[in-house]
Amino acid sequence: MSLKPKIVEFVDVWPRLRCVAEDVITLSKVERAVWNTSFSDVYTLCVAQPEPMADQLYNETKHFLESHVQEMLAKKVLAEHDATNANNTSSRPDLLQRYYTTWVEYSQGIKYLHQLYIYLNQQHIKKQKITDTESFYGNLSSDAADQMEIGELGLDIWRLYMVEYLAQELVRHILEGIAADRDSNGTLDSHRVKVINGVIHSFVEVQDYKKTGSLKLYQELFEQPMLEASGTYYTNEANKLLQRCSVSQYMQEVIKILEFESKRAQKFLHVSSLPKLRKMCEWKFINDRLGFIYSECRDMVSDERRQDLRNMYIVLKPIPDNLKAELIQTFLEHIKNEGLETVYALKGENIHIAFVENMLKVHHKYQELIADVFENDSLFLSALDKACASVINRRPSERQPCRSAEYVAKYCDTLLKKSKTCEAEIDQKLTNNITIFKYIEDKDVYQKFYSRLLAKRLIHEQSQSMDAEEGMINRLKQACGYEFTNKLHRMFTDISVSTDLNNKFNNHLKDNDIDLGINLSIKVLQAGAWPLGSTQVIPFAVPQEFEKSIKMFEDYYHNLFSGRKLTWLHHMCHGELKLSHLKKSYIVTMQTYQMAIILLFETCDTLSCREIQNTLQLNDETYQKHMQPMIESKLLNASSENLSGDTRIELNMDYTNKRTKFKISSALQKETPQEVEHTINSVDEDRKLFLQAAIVRIMKARKVLKHNALIQEVLSLSKVSFTPNIAMIKKCVESLIDKQYIERTANSGDEYSYMA
Amino acid sequence: MADDGENSVDNRATDDSKPEKMFTLKKWNAVAMWSWDVECDICAICRVQVMDSCLRCQAENKRDVLGRQDCVVVWGECNHSFHHCCMSLWVKQNNRCPLCQQEWSIQRMGK
Repeated sequence: MSLKPKIVEFVDVWPRLRCVAEDVITLSKVERAVWNTSFSDVYTLCVAQPEPMADQLYNETKHFLESHVQEMLAKKVLAEHDATNANNTSSRPDLLQRYYTTWVEYSQGIKYLHQLYIYLNQQHIKKQKITDTESFYGNLSSDAADQMEIGELGLDIWRLYMVEYLAQELVRHILEGIAADRDSNGTLDSHRVKVINGVIHSFVEVQDYKKTGSLKLYQELFEQPMLEASGTYYTNEANKLLQRCSVSQYMQEVIKILEFESKRAQKFLHVSSLPKLRKMCEWKFINDRLGFIYSECRDMVSDERRQDLRNMYIVLKPIPDNLKAELIQTFLEHIKNEGLETVYALKGENIHIAFVENMLKVHHKYQELIADVFENDSLFLSALDKACASVINRRPSERQPCRSAEYVAKYCDTLLKKSKTCEAEIDQKLTNNITIFKYIEDKDVYQKFYSRLLAKRLIHEQSQSMDAEEGMINRLKQACGYEFTNKLHRMFTDISVSTDLNNKFNNHLKDNDIDLGINLSIKVLQAGAWPLGSTQVIPFAVPQEFEKSIKMFEDYYHNLFSGRKLTWLHHMCHGELKLSHLKKSYIVTMQTYQMAIILLFETCDTLSCREIQNTLQLNDETYQKHMQPMIESKLLNASSENLSGDTRIELNMDYTNKRTKFKISSALQKETPQEVEHTINSVDEDRKLFLQAAIVRIMKARKVLKHNALIQEVLSLSKVSFTPNIAMIKKCVESLIDKQYIERTANSGDEYSYMA
Repeated sequence: MADDGENSVDNRATDDSKPEKMFTLKKWNAVAMWSWDVECDICAICRVQVMDSCLRCQAENKRDVLGRQDCVVVWGECNHSFHHCCMSLWVKQNNRCPLCQQEWSIQRMGK
């Protein structure tokens, strides 16, 4: 055939084309030749001379489709409707079935017809079609004035004449179908399901070509009534369940229903409706019934009924967080109560061990429960954290300080001290200990205690292993940063440097053939890093027995380092003394001062307290502290119980002991209540300094700042090591104003500015 | 503890030869503290204790693994002392002791 435009009469071509179109749309057989002819007919009309007849073709086709659809409605969908009403409904196809069959035919037919009219669609319609952007702004309605592609036109006509006409009936039938599926527990026969599904989806497909709002018809026509009907159904179901179920059963049922409903939704509905139906279902069964669900919450939590809690979690999971608060709060309270119960009844020597281990048990138990029951939900984990923190940081009363930091530090001390526990176990326990440590608010208190205990372990060589010590310091560093462990590190380093130094010193002695006659081991600590309390030196006249050793070492040390001075901390030294004045000879471990006292008896048998004190130049406190244990151990005898200046002291020549090697316990190694108090007070001092420094730093950076903003910044700075109370911050601000670091600004009472 | 055994054997030998003393020192575990031998324990430049690292080193978080040799003290001929780090920056601007204005020359370094 020729592509050249020619002169044709519309009436000559159209009847022929109309016949073919009818065959196409009813899916009757169309010969290829006929198809081809019709195809070129469309072309011929569109390019006809002298005037193209495209518009005419379009209009005629539109009329044809309109009458076709109306005919289908009347003959295929409605006509039998009357018949079925008269007869038995179940044997004959009902409205849904007829609509569906017709739709399947028509929707397929229109696609083919669209193909047939492809020239018209592409050359004629595309040209006048509005662009995407234009369609965005306004022209949403398929105005009759606008020409559509034939496929779209067909669908639109279907909507206009078929869907709109039948809508209410159809929807009613669909809802009945879904209700039937619900009643039969989802056992509706699959063909029926397919029909309903098809009908529902036809509402979407009929608008599918639209760029925007393609779901609008579906939503208005069907989804809205469907959701309403489902909502009513759910409410009724929930009411029924409430009649016969306990909370526990109710939750089980609800979980089942939710599952069935979402399957049902998949079976019937368009995907866009699934979340909506789900929401509706949750709303009616859960949100509306929260009071009921929560009514047994307290018992379930306190009895730790895992299955119930699990169900409750599943049920509550989809609802907004603020509605879950009650479960979480109850859970939190429960953990807190259990924690308080296990921790605050503690008494006795090993309170620190019980404290940490009980707390760990609680933490571990609930961590496991959260993993098992609550899917490690972060809301529950943070409830666990809050509960643990509140137990651990609880003060027994307003006046008493919280002692947890001290307990946890002592627990570490117990672990790190020499014992028979194997290293792997200690390591594990130390790691666990960090869990508890992280909850402590007063980390600076912990640090104080820890560093003092560490100092004692290192100086008295009580550590189980240096690896474990270092490991623990590293853990703390990880948790709190370099600043926190800086001094601990330096202490640790001092000890290893000292070990090295001792070896070198001993080699030096050997090389020079010097024999000091005693086994000397010296620790050199750097000033400032060690928590040694007051560093003021206690006066002490060093016995000449020590002098040589001291001098040799000092010479050696000064030779090795320059610019350093050494101060001997005799109150921390101890040694072994061999006693040969008794029947057996003994080797006794004691403090340096005590050794000095005994050494005085080399030349005389009896001395008065005053004489001893004067010779050694000891102050009263030190003297008493070291003399008492010697009397108690019976190595020395005193003429009166109360050691006054005139009391005579003599060697006990009848002393016997089963062991030939023993130790005079010294009062120094035990922690006294004063020491604890001192530690806590020194923490307070440090905090004030820290806060003042922080305030100055913040103000220097900000120049001018409101009171509340300043408090917030200070809090965030101090968070790592402690939580200061506001009163303390205020005090620090006041004292900085007095010291003229900052001042109140003139215009506002609660604003400060930095003074350079 | 093999050392102890040896020592005690040695001592007994000397004990036998000399008139026996009633008390003999066997072992001494001493503790000493070192600090820089300075007149003023605060560095006048950074206002930090000379025993601690200087402000700059603290800010840079220098790990003093080997006995903090990186932030030592330095003494001038005038006997004033500062952190070596602080002083080496200072002399780039002004080769005088910040405390007494004498020409700065190093007398000794801490080690």
